[in-house]
Amino acid sequence: MIKNFFKLISSEFQLMLRGSIFSFVLYCLLIISCAIFSLSLKHESMGINAPLSFLYIMIFFISLFKVEKIYSLEFDEAKLHQYILSPFSLEIIVFVKNMMIYLNLIIFFFIFSPLILIILNIDLIYLLKINILLALSLLSIVFIASMTASITISKNNRLSLTSILTLPLFVPILIFSMAITDLIDFNTGKMYLFFLAYFLLNLAFSPLLTSFALKKLSV
Amino acid sequence: MIEVNNLSFARGNTLIYKNINFKVQPGELLLVKGANGAGKTTLLSNIVNFIDPLKGSITYNGSEIDNHTASQSFLYISETNFAHDSMTLNQNIEYWLSIHNVKFDKHIKEKSVNYFFQQLNLDKKFYQLSFGQKKKLQLLLLMLVNKPVWILDDPLSGLDDRTIINVNTLFEKKLENKGIIILTSHQNITLNNYKTLKLE
Repeated sequence: MIKNFFKLISSEFQLMLRGSIFSFVLYCLLIISCAIFSLSLKHESMGINAPLSFLYIMIFFISLFKVEKIYSLEFDEAKLHQYILSPFSLEIIVFVKNMMIYLNLIIFFFIFSPLILIILNIDLIYLLKINILLALSLLSIVFIASMTASITISKNNRLSLTSILTLPLFVPILIFSMAITDLIDFNTGKMYLFFLAYFLLNLAFSPLLTSFALKKLSV
Repeated sequence: MIEVNNLSFARGNTLIYKNINFKVQPGELLLVKGANGAGKTTLLSNIVNFIDPLKGSITYNGSEIDNHTASQSFLYISETNFAHDSMTLNQNIEYWLSIHNVKFDKHIKEKSVNYFFQQLNLDKKFYQLSFGQKKKLQLLLLMLVNKPVWILDDPLSGLDDRTIINVNTLFEKKLENKGIIILTSHQNITLNNYKTLKLE
């Protein structure tokens, strides 16, 4: 079973690599939006908060799009039947897929982040800290987005509207991210722990709720 | 043995079927027939515990079918295809074998692939295959995943004559080994002994 689990991870990794073109397109859109944002405010003196908030909102949308796309492709009814009848629980499959989506998004962010910071006129000394901040918060964003996606892709259109209820779960991430950037040089380890704690909370509930929604709404 | 008692199912306010009863013993095949929309696929989904019935019970070897029983004992092949379009045929086979936790035996895999696909290049992307070839990938699981009960939704549609004979041979072998097969089909199957359930 363990051998097949690792085989599953490797297959999911291959699938993730094949889905990279979509991530690339999304990050290109992010760069274009950042450029428009920067150009439109070129005569204003901005601190780090405004561009970072903009970056966060864009990353939030990118994650939502990416998770929605992967879920609608990889959790259609026929595949879902096989996942449900698999000896691996659906929660484990959801967890592995979420982690692969996370890896895909964060690797692209690491690659594009220097360019994004230059466009947004943010000093590159913050590069590492912004990457760490985003790597930590993106984990929770992907897991919450998976709950949203599992409801949105349901066959019942009326119920898919209830996915809006999951959106407030993103708010603490945005609040804490902005709170960290308010502190001088982002230097506070305890604040980073929030993201870890919030991720662990999501890890406990998100795969369970996602797989429950997939089973009940999409089969 | 699979036993279905007084099974009814409704979708919204529409009753799909009412008070269905049947038993399928090991070594038996049940062919579910009926017009489009009669509830054949829904009945299979009820048996595999994908959806809950309105009333009635479904048992396998005396106990109610739950998710654990279904994943341990049932192999379900749906009408629509489950493979990943971006993967090759070979990668798809390996992916779905790992999902079903099948011990990978290269010899058995080659033999099974040859049984269905003959000389087909396994490095072809899945989206490049024809409907029938795609269907064969689903049926390949019948040979590679060892579960006592097969629940098959229209497994013969889109297949050529030679493959239909091959699938019927697989059915015969399964029944000889005391397996249970429940399938829906608009086509007749070539086996001599099987039960039929007609949904109105």
